[in-house]
Amino acid sequence: MKLLIPPEEHNILFRHITVALDCSAHSNASLNAAAELARLMQADLTGIFVEDINLFRMADLPFSHEIRMYTAEPEKIDTVQLERSVKLQAREAESSLQRVAGECNVEYSFRVCRGVVPTEVIAAAPDEDLLVLGRSGRSPSCRKGLGSTARRALAEGKKPLLLMRPGFSASEGSLLVLYDGSEGAHLALSTAISLKKSGNTLHLLLLAESYEESLEMERELKQERALTNIAVEFHHLPLNNGKTVVRYIRMAASGLLILSDRMKLSRESVHDLVREIDYPVLLV
Amino acid sequence: MSLPEKLSPEKLYKTCNPGEFSFRSTADLDGPIKATGQERAFEAIAFSMGIKHDGFNLFALGPNGTGKQTAIMQFLATIAPLAPVPSDWCYVNNFKQPRHPGALKLPPGKASTLSRDMEHLVEALLTVIPSAFSSEEYQVEEKNIREKFQEHQAEAFEDLEKKAAEQHIALIRTPAGFAFAPEKNGEVLKPEEFMSLNKKEREAIEKEITNLKSAMQLIMVQIPKWQRETQEKINELNRNIANFAVKPLMAELKNSYASLSEVIEYIETLENDIIENFDQFLEKEPDPREMLLGLPAGKFQQKGALLNRYRINVIVDNSKSEGAPVVYEDKPACQNLVGDIEHISQMGTLLTDFTLIKPGALHRANGGYLLIDARRLLLEPLAYEALKKALRTRQIRIESLAQLYSLVSTVSLEPEPIPLDIKVILIGERQLYYLLNVYDPDFSELFKVAADFEDELPFDGDGKLAYARIISAIAKTDKLRHFDRGAVARVIEQGSRITGDSTKLSAHLQSISDLVREADYYAASAKRKLVKAADVQKAIDARVLRSSRIQEKIREATLKNSILIDTESEKVGQINGLAIYSPGGQSFGHPGRITARIRLGKGEVIDIEREVEMGGPIHSKGVLILSGFLGARFAIDQPLSLSASLVFEQSYSGVEGDSASSAELYALLSALSGVHIRQWFAVTGSVNQFGQVQAIGGVNEKIEGFFDLCNARGLSGKQGVLIPASNVDNLMLRSDVVNAAKKGRFSIYPVTHIDEGIELLTGVPAGVLDKSGNYPPGTVNGMVVAKLKEMAEKIRKFTASSSNDED
Repeated sequence: MKLLIPPEEHNILFRHITVALDCSAHSNASLNAAAELARLMQADLTGIFVEDINLFRMADLPFSHEIRMYTAEPEKIDTVQLERSVKLQAREAESSLQRVAGECNVEYSFRVCRGVVPTEVIAAAPDEDLLVLGRSGRSPSCRKGLGSTARRALAEGKKPLLLMRPGFSASEGSLLVLYDGSEGAHLALSTAISLKKSGNTLHLLLLAESYEESLEMERELKQERALTNIAVEFHHLPLNNGKTVVRYIRMAASGLLILSDRMKLSRESVHDLVREIDYPVLLV
Repeated sequence: MSLPEKLSPEKLYKTCNPGEFSFRSTADLDGPIKATGQERAFEAIAFSMGIKHDGFNLFALGPNGTGKQTAIMQFLATIAPLAPVPSDWCYVNNFKQPRHPGALKLPPGKASTLSRDMEHLVEALLTVIPSAFSSEEYQVEEKNIREKFQEHQAEAFEDLEKKAAEQHIALIRTPAGFAFAPEKNGEVLKPEEFMSLNKKEREAIEKEITNLKSAMQLIMVQIPKWQRETQEKINELNRNIANFAVKPLMAELKNSYASLSEVIEYIETLENDIIENFDQFLEKEPDPREMLLGLPAGKFQQKGALLNRYRINVIVDNSKSEGAPVVYEDKPACQNLVGDIEHISQMGTLLTDFTLIKPGALHRANGGYLLIDARRLLLEPLAYEALKKALRTRQIRIESLAQLYSLVSTVSLEPEPIPLDIKVILIGERQLYYLLNVYDPDFSELFKVAADFEDELPFDGDGKLAYARIISAIAKTDKLRHFDRGAVARVIEQGSRITGDSTKLSAHLQSISDLVREADYYAASAKRKLVKAADVQKAIDARVLRSSRIQEKIREATLKNSILIDTESEKVGQINGLAIYSPGGQSFGHPGRITARIRLGKGEVIDIEREVEMGGPIHSKGVLILSGFLGARFAIDQPLSLSASLVFEQSYSGVEGDSASSAELYALLSALSGVHIRQWFAVTGSVNQFGQVQAIGGVNEKIEGFFDLCNARGLSGKQGVLIPASNVDNLMLRSDVVNAAKKGRFSIYPVTHIDEGIELLTGVPAGVLDKSGNYPPGTVNGMVVAKLKEMAEKIRKFTASSSNDED
C-alpha cells in the first residue's frame, strides 16, 4: 500500500483555535464551527472581540452622524453611548462564547482589544493557530463575497484559515477536498481525514491535466491506507481554471471545502475561488 | 217513615271469585302489560302523535304510578320504528367568525363518516404539507426570493459604499445604524488629522458626507417596502405550494360528498383556511415556556390543535338508529334539554370552542319524540322556558346559562341554531296540568292535546283480566313467583279497596306492583312455588301493621280514657263522629267525640273549631249548611232564639271536611230536644240544607276505626256505624269487620235523610209534619219545636223586662 500521505499528517491537530466575534450571523456560525472543531481536536478556544477604532475616531469627528436602522434619521453620535454599546456587544459576544464552549465542553478564553479590526483579528491568531472568521461581517454591503477581515486574512496568507457562513457545520455533513497531487493538496486531504467523522462522505475533486492522469490519481488514492474504511467519492475535473471548479462546487453543494493555496492552481485562482463560492472554506 | 235496615254482610265487601278465571296461575298468561280502561287517553295520544301541525304536543295527566309512561312508550314503540330516521347534525368551525360555529345537516350516519374523514385528512395534511414545504424545489424558490431581497439591499449599499470610497469616505456600521467618515489607507481619519485639513477640504468632505447620508436615508426608507414585497412573493409561493399539496386530498373528499351541497361548501371554506394557515401543519419547535407550564408541547400540541380546528363535532349521530328516536330525559335541566357549551380551564382562564358544544335531549330526539316528567321539568331553573322557546321558534339555540346570567365572564359561543321537528310529551299530575293551563298562556298554545289517564278501571271481567296480566308481567319482568287464582283475586279485591269503590279497581300500577313484590316475599318465606291468597293478605296486613304505630297510640289513649269516647251509654248533645288520619301513605279512621250545647241567643250556631281557626273552610261550610237546615225547618214561624256551640272534643290539630256535618246536626238536635243519643253508634256523612245525607270519602277506614275500638272494648252486638246510603258502593271492608257483621255483632246502617239517622240514634221517632203543620209531640222534631218555643218565650219575656227596666 502506498503512503502518499505520511502517517504523522493523518491527524492534523489544531492546538489552538481563535475565533473572531462581532455578534453577526456569520460570527455566530464561526463560533459554533470553532467550538465543534475545538472539541473534535481537543484544542483551546480563544474568542476575540475587536472594538473598532474607526468607530471611535468617527465619533470624535465634529460632524459625525449615524443613520439609525429603524428610523432612517441621522442623529449625532454620542461617544459615551457608543462606548456603552460596544461594551454591550463585547459582553454579548463573551456570553455567546461561554454558552457555546460550555455546550461543547471546551476550554476557552476571551479577549477584547481595540484597533483596526482585520489587523487585530489576524494578530490574535499567530503561527499555526487556526483562525475562524465569518465570510462577511456586519456590513450589509459585503453580504456577498468576503468581508474586510476575511479579505485581509486571505490577502496576508493567514493559514490555517476557516471562513464560515451560517447554515453549515464544520464537523457534520460531507467534506469536499480539492486534490491535484500537489503538496498543498496532500495537506488538504490529511486535514479532511482528520476532520471527517464516520458516516460522512468525503468528496475528492481530482484536478488533472488529462482524464487519464486523473484516473491514475484516483487509483493511487484508492490504495492509500488512510482512505480505507472511509466513504470516498471521486470526482474528476480538468485542471485549467478556477471558474470551472467554482461552477462545479456550486452544483455539488457538498459542504465544507478544504483546499490549500499551494496547489497546481495559482494562488490567485484559489483566492478567487474562495471569494466566489458561498460555502465555508478551510484554507490550509 | 221506615227505618233503613242494617246492611247485609254481602254489601260490605265485594269478593272476587277465583273460579271465574280460566287460568290456573299467572304463568299461563303472557303478553305485555296492557292498560285497560284508558281508551280516552290512548285516543288522545294517537291524535297528538299523528297530527303534524305545530303546538300539538301532548300532556299526559293522571296520578303518578298509573302507567302513563309505560303506555306512551308502548304506543311509541309501535309507530316510531316506522318513521324515517332523522338527519345527523354536527357543529363545525366557522373560520371567519369562530364565535358562531356553523351547524351542518347530513343524511343519517354520514356525520360520523365525515368526522372520521376529517381526522384522516388532518393526519394526511400533517405529512403532505410539511413534505411539500421541505421539498428542494420550495426551499430553492424561497431562498431565491429572499436572496433577491438581500441582493437588492446589498447592491444599494454597495453602490453607495463605492461612491463613498471614490471620495475616500468609509461606510461604517455602528451598533445602531450606519455612519460615514473620511478615511485614509483603510482607516478613519483621526480628529486631529481631519482638523489639520484646510477649511475647503473639510467643507468638501462634510458636504459629501451630507449627500451620502441623504442617499443612505433614501435606501433605508425603501428597505421596508422591499421587505413587504418580498414577503408578498413568499406568501404567494406558500399559497401555491399549499394549494398544490392540498388539492388532491380535497378533491377526493369533495367527491365523497358530491351530493351534499352544504358539506361541499364547508369543505371549500376548510380548504381555503388550510391554504391560508398552512404553517400550522409545519413542525414547530416546542415553546420551552409552555413546556414549563405543563402544556402539551411540540408535535402533540400541534396535532391536537389542528384536530380541534378541523374537527367535526357530531351532535346527533343516527348511524345506528332505526326509525324516529324516542328519548326519555330523566333530568330535564336546561342544559340537558337544549345542550350546553362547556369550558375548559387553562392557566386559570376559561376557554371554549365549537368542539365543546354538547347536545341536549332536544337534539337527540329531533325528528322523533321526547318524554319529560313535568314536575321535574318545572323544578329545574329555566328549563321549562327553554323548552317552550325551542318549541315556539322551532329551533334549538344553545345558550350558555352562566353567560346569559353573567355568572361567568369569559368568551363564549353563539352556535347556529338547529331546526327542530319534535313531539314533546309531558307527563304529570292533573294539578300541574290545570295550573299550567291557568297560569301560563303559552302552555295551551304548545301543548294542545291532553291525554287524561283514568285512576280507576271498572271492576268487571276486563278489569280483572287486566290485573291478572299486570301481575303476570311483573312476575316475569322482576323474576317473581307467579300468582295462583286465589292470590290474583285477593290482589284485585285490594285494588278495589284502594279506590274506595267496590265497582272500581285502582289503576295505580305502582301500588299493585309493590303489593305483588311484597306478596312474593312472603311466599318465598313460606317456601311456596306459587303466591297464594294468604301471602297477599299477609303483605296487606304487614303493610298496615308497619304504618299502624300512630293508630295504635290513639286507640291506646282511647282505651285508657285519655281520649274520651263512649261506646256504651246514651247521652244528650253528644255523638261519635268519625275522622280520617293520613300520616304518610296509609290512612286510618278513628272516632272523635262531637258535642253540642245550647243557650238563649239570636239563632247563631257557633263552630268552635272555626272560632279558634282550627276548622277548615269546608268544615265551616258544613256547619253553616246545618244551620240553614235548622233555620228552614224550625224557624219559619218563630225566630231561633238560641245560640248553639259545636265542637270536636279533644281535637288538637284542626278539622277539615264536611263528613261530620250530619253528626253535628244529630248532636244539635239531641241538645235541642233533650233526647239521648246512643253512644254505641258512630256517624259519618255530610248533610245538605234539606237534611239529606250525602256521600263522604274514606268510608271503609272510618268504619274500621270505630270497629277496632269497639272490638278492643268488646263487641256488644249493638254497636254500629251510620253511613250515607250513597256510600254503600264504596264498601270494601276488612274481613274481621265483615265477619263480625255476619255474626250480628256489628252493624252498618245506610242513611239517606237526617230524620232516619236521628231515629236510629235515639230510638225516638223523628216526627213528620202533620196536616196543621206541626210535629207530633213526643217526636224528636216535636220536642225541638217545643224547646225552641220555650226559648223564644224566655227571650221575649227577658227582652220585655229589660225594656221596662230601662224605661
